[in-house]
Amino acid sequence: MTLEDFLDPLISALLLAGIYAAMSMGMTIIYGVMKIVNLAHAGFMMLGAYFAYELFQRFHIDPLLGAVLALPVFFLFGMGVHWLLVRWLPKSDQPTLASLLLMFGFWLVLQNVAYLIWKNEDRSITTSYTLSSIHLGPFYISKVHLFVFVAAVISIVVLQIALKRSWFGRSMRALIQNPYAAQIVGVDDRKTAMLTFGLGTAFTGFAGALLAMLYSFSPDFGRPFLLRSFVIIVLGGLESFSGVAIGALILALVENYSILIPHVEASYQPAISYGLLVVVLLFLPKGIAGLLERKWRAG
Amino acid sequence: MKTGNAFPRPAVKSILPFVVLLVLLILPAAGLSTNITRLLFTTFVWTITSVAWNLVGGFTGQVSFGFAVFYGLGAYTAGLMINAGRDPCFSFLAAAGMAALASFLVGLPTFRLRGPYFAIATIGVTEAVRVVMSNLKLTGGASGLNIIERRTFHQAEHYYTALMAVALAVAISILISRSRFGLALRAIKQDEDAAASLGVNPYSCKLWVHAIAAALTGVAGAIHARYFPYIDPGGGPGGVFAFQTGISILLMPVIGGIGTVWGPVLGGLVFGIVEEELVVNFPNIHLLLYGILLILIILFEPDGLAGLLRKLFALFRRSRGDSGGQDADQVLWRSGSVEGREL
Repeated sequence: MTLEDFLDPLISALLLAGIYAAMSMGMTIIYGVMKIVNLAHAGFMMLGAYFAYELFQRFHIDPLLGAVLALPVFFLFGMGVHWLLVRWLPKSDQPTLASLLLMFGFWLVLQNVAYLIWKNEDRSITTSYTLSSIHLGPFYISKVHLFVFVAAVISIVVLQIALKRSWFGRSMRALIQNPYAAQIVGVDDRKTAMLTFGLGTAFTGFAGALLAMLYSFSPDFGRPFLLRSFVIIVLGGLESFSGVAIGALILALVENYSILIPHVEASYQPAISYGLLVVVLLFLPKGIAGLLERKWRAG
Repeated sequence: MKTGNAFPRPAVKSILPFVVLLVLLILPAAGLSTNITRLLFTTFVWTITSVAWNLVGGFTGQVSFGFAVFYGLGAYTAGLMINAGRDPCFSFLAAAGMAALASFLVGLPTFRLRGPYFAIATIGVTEAVRVVMSNLKLTGGASGLNIIERRTFHQAEHYYTALMAVALAVAISILISRSRFGLALRAIKQDEDAAASLGVNPYSCKLWVHAIAAALTGVAGAIHARYFPYIDPGGGPGGVFAFQTGISILLMPVIGGIGTVWGPVLGGLVFGIVEEELVVNFPNIHLLLYGILLILIILFEPDGLAGLLRKLFALFRRSRGDSGGQDADQVLWRSGSVEGREL
């Protein structure tokens, strides 16, 4: 095996990690604030993909711009979903049966609506730069992957800054850290929850639109990515933003290097992310963030 | 529930299941058409899985989206056994054992932790197992497995097998709900810490109830596989490992009323019969209908059909001037994890 064979997966893993982190962000913030595992995450991603697709087909809008346009649209959509369904769920400090089933039901609805509109066939977005790539020494880097990576990283950085600086971001982080104390000091948890759900949905739709540039999609699109997002946020320790980035990188690395193992076909990838989840749950139940914390205390 | 009524309702309640069982036992002798027997057969198979899911999801409060794995493993194990010329009873036992073993694969890493780990892991395991089964040479891969049993086919035999299995599943469900083990499960559902401090081991309780439920689901899959000459892992609605199978298994107890003994049975019976009509008449929107149904039940009637019936009975009794107390199940459900913990 040459050095290139070894470095090639590394580069594609790095590029993939960006979009993996972006797609998991929405799930983390919703889980952090409301302790709801958003199973409709998969449905939002799928809708994001079709949103970019429709804009591209009808108005010839570049999917990168389409992804950005998805942000406000999905923000409003998420707020609507929260107003219609999620706010009726009883509050809890851990995921409830009701919240799991409700979001699951909503995912089924989204999936079927998509089947009715777009039928059960694979679609893809082919832009002028889809098949071109950049030569960098012995490596070929696909332009789409690079663009998606850059877009994802920018979005994450903007989100980080917004959450650090704004009043909303501070109240959101306060709710994640300690919901009761946050309410005592005057954080409006209902309003914050609604905005968080909107923001999480916006980010998920955005990530779905970006993913549509890389993969073909059908109404069933989000399911493997739902599992991946969950593996990533578990790796990151469920509520930590920097943990998500590390988790995304680890998953992308494992997936890309698994191709080098003989007899493991690409179609086994769902099994790989599940295997990783099991390993993490067994050895690192609090994720990477938990591990770092422990090291800190010991040291 | 009050027991000292002039009209002892609990007695009716305990006799009714036997009457229904007796009627179902005699029915084939009364000359049922092949089609209706088949419908009842599939309904029974669904009901077994519904009762099994309820042990984990209803009694213990652990939502699983992955019962299709046990159903499929049971079906494939039995299929391979029957093809090898084994006795059907032995095949059913092997299917149960296989499914129970697989349940530990999901349970061992996830049950130790609280939180959403188990529920999501079950989605993952469905995907992973379906992919593996679609690529496995031994089982014919994605093209499926033909099951050839070297015996004459008697529909009644299959009917009675399924009926016996339902009776067994319900009996297990009743036994568990009345035992110390069942109380421990309900305690875990309400508050794991409190349960642990009272000497319940949440980890092993969850593992065992999951294994029992998986074994029952495996038997259901085996009965399905023995009846139909062909099974495939399939992503579509027909495949035994399909995500849709898992959805159906979860939907039935939710419709019927989770956490009760009879709710899932009711849900299974209603679903089995309605599903047939739905798939034939609305093949395009049946997921939509399921989704909306799930949302409506969670938001408006978390106790399902059983809860609805109970409310109707209460209304009826109140109009006769008899104030009915709350059922223990209802109290548990209200204070259980569905309502969540209050501030």
